Amino acid sequence: MLPRLPAFSRPEIAGIERGVAAVPRWVGLLFVTALLAYVALRASEPAPVAAASALEAPLPVPALRVLSLGEPQAMAQTLVLALQAFDNQPGISIPFLALDYQGVIAWLNAALMLDARSQYPLMMAAQLYGQVPDSGRQRVMCEFVHRKFLERPNARWRWLAHCAIVARHRLNDSALALRYAEAIAQHAGGASSWARQMRIFMLEDMGEIERAKVLLGGLLAGNEITDAREIYFLTERLEKMRSVENPAAAPKTRQ
Amino acid sequence: MYQILTISRYTLLEARRAHLPLLFACAIGAVLASAAFASELAVIEGLRMQTAFYAAGIRLAVVFIMAAHVIASVTREFDDKGLDMLLALDLPRAHYILGKLCGFLAAGAVVGLIACVPLLLTAPASAALQWGIALSLELAVVIAFALFCVVAFGQFMPSAAMVLAFYMLARSITTIRLMSAHPVSGGDTLSHAVSRWLIEGLALLLPALDRWTQTVWLTDAPEAWRGIFAMLLETVLYVTLLAGAAMVDFHRRNF
Repeated sequence: MLPRLPAFSRPEIAGIERGVAAVPRWVGLLFVTALLAYVALRASEPAPVAAASALEAPLPVPALRVLSLGEPQAMAQTLVLALQAFDNQPGISIPFLALDYQGVIAWLNAALMLDARSQYPLMMAAQLYGQVPDSGRQRVMCEFVHRKFLERPNARWRWLAHCAIVARHRLNDSALALRYAEAIAQHAGGASSWARQMRIFMLEDMGEIERAKVLLGGLLAGNEITDAREIYFLTERLEKMRSVENPAAAPKTRQ
Repeated sequence: MYQILTISRYTLLEARRAHLPLLFACAIGAVLASAAFASELAVIEGLRMQTAFYAAGIRLAVVFIMAAHVIASVTREFDDKGLDMLLALDLPRAHYILGKLCGFLAAGAVVGLIACVPLLLTAPASAALQWGIALSLELAVVIAFALFCVVAFGQFMPSAAMVLAFYMLARSITTIRLMSAHPVSGGDTLSHAVSRWLIEGLALLLPALDRWTQTVWLTDAPEAWRGIFAMLLETVLYVTLLAGAAMVDFHRRNF
C-alpha cells in the first residue's frame, strides 16, 4: 500500500496500479485485523519507565585502544562525553552525588590514559564532580587530580591549584591545601607565579609565619621573579610579616 | 498449501546454494575471534566480556546477513523474470508471498538457533536457549519487513535503506519515548506536544526491539519464559501484519 516512487520502480512494473478491489478480501481482512490487533497489543503495554542505570566500569585501556581504531583521542573524547551525559539518562536526571565516584574516576583515568594532553577529564574532576556538597567525594576527586598532576605537573597544575582552593575554603583543611600548593611549587616549574607562591600565603594563613618568611625570602633572593611590581608586592608582604613579630619596625605600607 | 511449501523449499534451497551457511559460519568465526581477543585483554571478567562481545556482535551480523539475503533474493527474481514466469502459472500471488516468507523464516530460525550454540560454552544453557529463540524471533520480524520493502520498492538499495532505518528505530524507540516524555526543557510547548504525539503513534506500529535478545540475559539475569512467550505472540502478530501488507501491495501491482 506504499505510494509508488517512480525513481524506485523498475520500468516494467511502473505501470498503473490495480485498484484495491484486486486484493482478495481475505488478504485485506488479514491485514486490517493484524494491524488492529498489533496496535491494541502495543497500546495495552505499560509505558516505559525511566530507571537510573548504574555506571559500569569502562573497558580496560588496551581494549579501548583497539576499539579506537588508531584514534585514541577520539575515543577519549567519546568517553568523557558519555560520562558527562550519564547524569542525564533518557527520562531521568541523576545527581552527581548518586554516582559511584570510583567508577567516575575509572572513566576519567581511562580518558587521560588515551589522551594525556587533554585537560577535559581533569576539568570534569575538579569543576564538575569536585563541586558536590559532600566532603568525602570532594576529597576523592582532589586526590585523583593530585595523582594525575604528578604525572604531568606543568600541564596540569591549574586543576591542582583549584583543588588547593577547594581544600582551603570548602573543606576547611589547610593542611591538605598546603600539601597541594607545595606540590605545585615543587613539581610545576612552568606554573604561573601566583600558583607557585600560593603555599607562602597558605603558611601565613595557618600562622606559620617563620616558614612563610623563609620561603618568601628565598623567593626574593633568587632570580626567579623578574617583574618589578611583583617583587615590590612580595617585599611589602615580607615586611608586613616581620612587622607582626616586631611592631616597632613596621614599615609604612600602602593601604 | 502444496504450492506454498514448494516455494518455501526452493527458497531454503536457494539460501543453501547462495552460500548463506558459509557466510554465516565466517561471521560466527570472526565475531568469536574478536570476542576471544577482547576477553584476552580483560584483567577480570574475561568470560563475561567474551559472552557480551559475541552476543552483541553476532546479533547485528545475522540481522544484516538475513536482511541482505531476503532483499537480494527477491530482487533477483524480479530481475531474472522468474517471478513473471511463476505468476503466469496457476499460482495465487498471496501464495507466492507466503511461500517466500515461510522459506526465509525457516532459514532465519535455523540461523538464530545456530548462533546461540557457542554461547552454551559461556552461559547457562537455558539463558542461551532463550537468547537464541529471541534472536530467531527478531530475525523473523526483520525478514518480514525486508520482504515487505522489497515487494514495495523492487530494488535493493531503497529496500536495504528502509530495513536499516526500521531496525535502528525499533532498537531505539523506547529511549526516544522516554526522552520525549521527560524533556529537559520546553515540555509545555505545542511543538513538543505534536512531536510526542507522533512518537507515541509510531511506537504503536513498531516492535521495541531493544527489549529483545538482550545480552544481560546471558551474563546476569535470565529472562522469564513468560517474556519469551510474549515475544513469540508479538512476533506472530507483527509478521502477520507485514505479510498482509506485502500481499496487499503485491496484489495491486501490475506486471
